[in-house]
Amino acid sequence: MKNVLGVALGILSAIGGFVDIGDLVFNTQAGATFGFQLLWVVVIGVVGIIVYSEMCGRVAAVSKRPVFDLVRERMGFGAGLATLIASEVVNLMTCAAEIGGVAICLQLLSGLSYRLLIPLAVLALALASWVLPFRWIERVFGYLGLCLLVFAVAAIKLHPDWGRVAHGFVPGSHAGGSLLVYLYFVVGLLGAAMTPYEVYFYSSGAVEDRWGLKDLRLNKVTSIIGYSLGGFLSFALMIVAGALFLPRGISPQFLGTPALAAEHALGQVGLLLALVGILFAVGGAAVMTSFAGAYNLAQFFGWRWGKKERPAAAPRFTLSWLVIFALALILVMTGYDPVKLTEYSVIFSVVALPLTYLPILLIANDQTYMGRNVNGKLANTFGFLYFVLILAIAVAAIPLMLLTHGGQG
Amino acid sequence: MLVLGVLVALVAGGCGGSGSLGAKALAQQARSLQSVAAEGALLAEDAVAGKTTQIYTREHSSALQGAAAKAEAALESARTEPALAPKLRELAVLAGRIGTALERLAGVSKDQQRALARELEAAAHKSQQIGTGLT
Repeated sequence: MKNVLGVALGILSAIGGFVDIGDLVFNTQAGATFGFQLLWVVVIGVVGIIVYSEMCGRVAAVSKRPVFDLVRERMGFGAGLATLIASEVVNLMTCAAEIGGVAICLQLLSGLSYRLLIPLAVLALALASWVLPFRWIERVFGYLGLCLLVFAVAAIKLHPDWGRVAHGFVPGSHAGGSLLVYLYFVVGLLGAAMTPYEVYFYSSGAVEDRWGLKDLRLNKVTSIIGYSLGGFLSFALMIVAGALFLPRGISPQFLGTPALAAEHALGQVGLLLALVGILFAVGGAAVMTSFAGAYNLAQFFGWRWGKKERPAAAPRFTLSWLVIFALALILVMTGYDPVKLTEYSVIFSVVALPLTYLPILLIANDQTYMGRNVNGKLANTFGFLYFVLILAIAVAAIPLMLLTHGGQG
Repeated sequence: MLVLGVLVALVAGGCGGSGSLGAKALAQQARSLQSVAAEGALLAEDAVAGKTTQIYTREHSSALQGAAAKAEAALESARTEPALAPKLRELAVLAGRIGTALERLAGVSKDQQRALARELEAAAHKSQQIGTGLT
């Protein structure tokens, strides 16, 4: 019974944690621009994050050490430092975008000033991070993030052409819009699905939850079912945007726009559920990014770390996530548009993806660390194919962003 | 390289888009205006139908109005070649009308919201026409 509960909670956490501001922005923009034609990309992205999260969880469960701890040991100081800098830059940008997203949701719910809500949001998130135990952080944000399921109901209520939806799962030539913009969204959707902080957080979370060899099955089930269901939410977002926004020529530029789809389909209840779901999904992601940044720093420099530790027992770790929140606060307070910041953070995270995923692949293949739990043929095949794909999109990401003016054409 | 790229992108993204506009840039502005007006029309329709909350209507229409005002300012300060000047003026006027309609949306009666929905829908249609004529 305890195991079933553990699996269920893991799955619920993964659903809530998968959809962040990057997924909200890129899935709705992709749906509003290309309808259902890019659904297949979400499938590829979800399989990718499953493959690498499973590896990360397995590495953590077997070695009892998180990925970043092993990156420096396996890759050396120079490569480790490059990975650390890249991931910290992307983490900070993502954290700032998520905080901006939280403030926008609170504004749409309360009517209070956005600029007033930014510091309040950071204060609330920092307080929750300080007070709540790790498992409760996962549960609170994961459970309440489940309100996002309202988009699945909205997708049904909007009566899309299900034949065309099904066709969207098959990769093929695109119709409408330019090829470059289409490719930009392919890169963005993959980047949003495979954001580096997710695997760092997952791996460190596994150590925080004291996973061991007995949890390898839990790791597999959590990553497969949890991220698949997270992908299901991404499908829903793209379908509502394709069914409602595309025919009207609406190109979503605001975080409040996806909520409009739920509201149009389901009225005020739909609107409120969508806003609460977005609030907790992006709030959870803000906490995850600040922790992921602190985990990486602490694990790289060998500091004592962990949410399970009292703040005084792991002072540099605690100070790190507080500083990340503070820097993100400053970045959002400059008035930079959170949606634009999200677009940049997703595209730059794509550039940093090889630095994140190569060490994971190498460590999961290393018998010194993994013993008999080293990657099997299937994990290696998928891992290698995805690494080639990651390299290709990392090279293409910034040129595509510049050539398409951030997907504007 | 990544840090440099981030800084360049942030600075570029933060810069306004005034200056000389060609046909492509004008068409892009027309598409943005169409999107803002169409979204405003949808919001207004839902407000009439009682589907939305007053706070959401006010805050989201305010965000849309901000985008329309930004577009209006950019269009008014922009220059273009003589052949495109009428289109530029037309878009600037349209942006102003869209902004005004969005500014009023949250504080008026349902009948007036219905009229604003029609006005915004017409503005979206007009923007689309201008954009199509430019490409």
